[in-house]
Amino acid sequence: MSLKYAFFLGCVVPNRYPGIEAASRKVLPRIGVQLEDLTGASCCPAPGVIGSLSRDSWLTLASRNLCLAERLGLDVLTVCNGCFATLSDANSELKESSERRDRVTNLLHGIGLNYIGRVKVKHIAEVLGKEVGSKKIQEHVTKPLSNIRIAVHYGCHLVKPRVSRNFDNPENPTILDELVKALGAESVDYEEKMACCGAGGGVRSGVPDVSLRMLNEKLANIQNAKADCVVDVCPFCHLQFDKGQVELKQGYDISYSIPILHYLQALGLAMGYSVSELGLDQQYIWNQAIANKLGGGNGTK
Amino acid sequence: MATAKTDLEAPRKIVSRRNDFANEVTKAGGVNINKCLQCGRCTASCPSGKHTAYRTRMIIRRAMAGFREEVLAGDDIWLCTTCYTCYERCPRGIDVVKVIQTLRNMSMRVGGMLPAHRAVALNLYKTGHAVPIDPDNKDKRLKLGLPEVPPTVHSSSIALSEVHELLEQAGFLDVLETALTKQIRVRPPEEGLFL
Amino acid sequence: MNEVAASSEAVPRVGVYVCHCGKNIADTVDVKKVSEFASSLPNVVIARDYVHVCDEVGQDTISRDIKEQKLNRVVVAACSPKVHEVTFRRTLAKSGLNPYLLEVGNIREQCSWVHIDNKDLATEKAKDLVIMAVSKALLLRPLEAKEIETTKSTLVIGGGIAGVQAALDLADSGIKVHLVERASNIGGRMAQWGKVFPTMDCAACILMPKLVNVVQHPNITLYTHSEVKDFSGSLGNFKVKIVRKPKYVDEEKCTGCGTCAQKCPVKVPNEFDFGLGQRKAIYIPSPNAIPQKYTIDTDHCLYFTKGVCKVCQKFCTSGAINYEQQPQTVDIQVGTVVVATGYDPFDPSGILEYGFGKYDNVITGPMVERMADAMGPTGGKIIRLSDKKPPKKVAFLQCVGSRDEKLRLAYCSRVCCMYALKDAMMLKEEDPSIEATIFYIDIRAFGKGYEEFYVRGQERGVKFVRGKVSSIVEEPDTKRLRLRYEDTLLGRTIVEAFDLVVLSVGQLPRKEDQELGKLLGLPRGIEGFFMEAHPKLRPNDTVVDGIYLAGSAQYPKDITDAVAQASGAASRAAISLQVGKVQIEPVAPTVDENYCGGCGICVGTCTFNALKFDKQGEKRVVRVDESLCKGCGSCVAACPLSAIKAPQFTDQQIAAQVKALLRPETLRR
Repeated sequence: MSLKYAFFLGCVVPNRYPGIEAASRKVLPRIGVQLEDLTGASCCPAPGVIGSLSRDSWLTLASRNLCLAERLGLDVLTVCNGCFATLSDANSELKESSERRDRVTNLLHGIGLNYIGRVKVKHIAEVLGKEVGSKKIQEHVTKPLSNIRIAVHYGCHLVKPRVSRNFDNPENPTILDELVKALGAESVDYEEKMACCGAGGGVRSGVPDVSLRMLNEKLANIQNAKADCVVDVCPFCHLQFDKGQVELKQGYDISYSIPILHYLQALGLAMGYSVSELGLDQQYIWNQAIANKLGGGNGTK
Repeated sequence: MATAKTDLEAPRKIVSRRNDFANEVTKAGGVNINKCLQCGRCTASCPSGKHTAYRTRMIIRRAMAGFREEVLAGDDIWLCTTCYTCYERCPRGIDVVKVIQTLRNMSMRVGGMLPAHRAVALNLYKTGHAVPIDPDNKDKRLKLGLPEVPPTVHSSSIALSEVHELLEQAGFLDVLETALTKQIRVRPPEEGLFL
Repeated sequence: MNEVAASSEAVPRVGVYVCHCGKNIADTVDVKKVSEFASSLPNVVIARDYVHVCDEVGQDTISRDIKEQKLNRVVVAACSPKVHEVTFRRTLAKSGLNPYLLEVGNIREQCSWVHIDNKDLATEKAKDLVIMAVSKALLLRPLEAKEIETTKSTLVIGGGIAGVQAALDLADSGIKVHLVERASNIGGRMAQWGKVFPTMDCAACILMPKLVNVVQHPNITLYTHSEVKDFSGSLGNFKVKIVRKPKYVDEEKCTGCGTCAQKCPVKVPNEFDFGLGQRKAIYIPSPNAIPQKYTIDTDHCLYFTKGVCKVCQKFCTSGAINYEQQPQTVDIQVGTVVVATGYDPFDPSGILEYGFGKYDNVITGPMVERMADAMGPTGGKIIRLSDKKPPKKVAFLQCVGSRDEKLRLAYCSRVCCMYALKDAMMLKEEDPSIEATIFYIDIRAFGKGYEEFYVRGQERGVKFVRGKVSSIVEEPDTKRLRLRYEDTLLGRTIVEAFDLVVLSVGQLPRKEDQELGKLLGLPRGIEGFFMEAHPKLRPNDTVVDGIYLAGSAQYPKDITDAVAQASGAASRAAISLQVGKVQIEPVAPTVDENYCGGCGICVGTCTFNALKFDKQGEKRVVRVDESLCKGCGSCVAACPLSAIKAPQFTDQQIAAQVKALLRPETLRR
């Protein structure tokens, strides 16, 4: 089976957490997902900040990114909830007639672009969960993450709003938990599992103390459940969880040491790649406990 | 203790309300806020509201009561993380997130933008990325065997110029300029005003 | 044939009446101009305009003109014929003119109401509609309505309080009633409730006498554990096939002693108790079920599933158990039907954030009712399911499954505010120290005595919080529930723990109504409830003549309104039966057998099965069953040889109308 997608990088992955990009490029081709670079792609643009400032600008840049994919003749694959939300919603908005769509279409024509509407936007969770499947993933696992207790964080824009995403039940989704189990790990339940990490909507940059309060509650609940690490599928949640723990220590003297892995990094570990190959040692939070559990010599921070 | 007649005769502050504000918002965002039941489920679902005095429902209530300035130049609309839980649970099916984003868009014109967002917006314009690459991360990329700079607008000046052109034509810079030259903050209407 | 009727063969003399309909027509259409235009038309002898042609003066004017002006055609330009065609036909009949020499031009729904912003064009259009009506009127021929005798019998589908009330009213008035109930026993939802609001009567106490009355009534034939399988015919003569599903217990022999159930080894959750209690595989749903006859549940009975046991038969002293019992088909003929199939309570399992089905102590209103019933699964005590102890702090959440567009259940179920209040009051009566809080969006206390009941509740200390609860989380050790809500009147978000949470679920139409609707030809509304003929003026009728509605099958309602509507439906259902005959409108088309080629294309178009093949000598032809025909005209349009002609819409009449519309003046416009 060969699935081929235009790989949409976004901002946080290439510019802050390149480990996730490395993990994607190593892991995905091996399980049958071919990636083609979407050269010249810009910020999706960030739904929280840019969508709040000007919806016209948001739709314009998003449409350009979709045009690039259409030019390649491929569907878009993203590894980020935020980019997924932007590109999916823009895709839908471009299919309905409106004054905004007319304005944006004119702007695109101005630089020689025209969006016909053939592109589908896919999130890696959907591709892995529904197109590749847990079973196939399991076949590629050579170093199962046994004894690792994982707290799965779905994030918000993967499953909500339900009418737009149409992807698992927002109150009680199971897709990522299944994918984590396929790696041989245990997905632990924790209080308010579906709570927001607090980063989105421009809150992380705009109202940082409120953002950190929300993060703190999540981390406290995860810690209570005695998880070894968190697995997510959104680089922005990833940034919030990783750097946020440093900010909590610096600003509020609250200490946690809960490493955060993107699912692709976790899959990478299970397929035998090392901590440094996946950029995990470049992240703010890493610790000996998890390194040991992963089987010694996997690098510490 | 009242000083003679003066305190009791202190001029009452007249607050102006805009009767058409609810319709203005409805028209701008395409979501009919007049349908709101004011049941409060959104407030109770909100993660920001859990940690602050923010009440999602009140934004809609103030909008319906016509407190245009207080809503557009207030702090509350910036506390939403767009998690969509309110929309999921609203019995009237109101896309509250879209309403809040519409209000944020409208607030650009009155100077309601948060100062911290200036940097993000300028980055987007200048580099095509809200979060652009920096020397530290170029290093990280090289260590991982990736090209120093990703194959995005960062690697293509033509692509970047397209982004510039589009943002300029879309009026992004105008929005930014207005938002940056005006900066006002207005307190919520319930706080100690006489009507 | 009197003088006036005979003159219909003579030169047409038309009277045109243009109605103002108050301001409905006159504010948009210049009725005087239309009336003047009408009088200029050939064959129009007199044209008038009047404020309400349908009122006494209006009708008397038409009558007088018929006599004095020797009119033999009448055109009324007014509201839709659906509203007053019947009225004006009566006027003609009373004046000695054949009622089918009337033509109604709709200058309201099809003109003034839809062209409010363009008075000039609306007036021109009204003139067009009038000239079209006049042109058709010239070609109308007198028709005779057929009279058929009605069968003095009614089918009532549903044995809840509404069906029971309708059945008793009809039976008391001397009409034979066939009452069909799907369950093994009658009483419906009311039999499941503990007390009723606002009187706080014991539901069973006031219901039982009616149920016993039904069982004993000489004019009522009761079919329990039965269904309507086949249905055809029309007002006055419906043919119905009822299937009595086997109970495997001979009802004549069963004494209701209950020994069989005592001995039966199989325990099953009792649906009647919403899963709170258990019953056996041979059972009655509750100790005071009526009729007191047992039924075997073949899905769980060991004999029917595995071929073993037979203990019930062994111990039955009346020899009532009969494993070989067959379904019984009964064919009946009735004149009218009352549909009273009731409702199902909403199942909140799908609302994951409320935890129903996951958390022990989150229950529904109906479950509280079963608990409150002294003969119920908890002996009349309202308790927490986790530890069987009485709760000290109870929350009632309103509008669960109602007023919720996300769930596609946008309507209000009417009764939940009152039943939550009632349940809260019951708790307070038992123990005034119990804290009961009702979380609402609005409190709807609309009926007689309801507002006073609400005040009593408040006085007794029932708490009210205006806020829709967002989510419920269980405390693992105590199994208490934490509710997160905004007290909107206070403007604060609060998390509060309760011992027991009651979800006040709404009323939903029964799933089986979809099939029943198809069988009876009854349309259902967007929410799934059966549609009434007119929401204001005919709330008990359906669009099918002879079929009436009662109870929650039509729309959620409380017992008071269900009973009132049931008596209303019974009265409607009795009219044609007491009169003894019914008129069949001459809408059925006639087949000209000289032209009919027997191709059968028309048969395929008829959704009422009114067209049937027959033989005319050697030739195959089609015949029309007038009692089934609704006059829709599909067959008339479909016939390739124009062999079928509709009496009230002939080709010539339609052609004349089109020609009148496309006169040179309109083409110049």
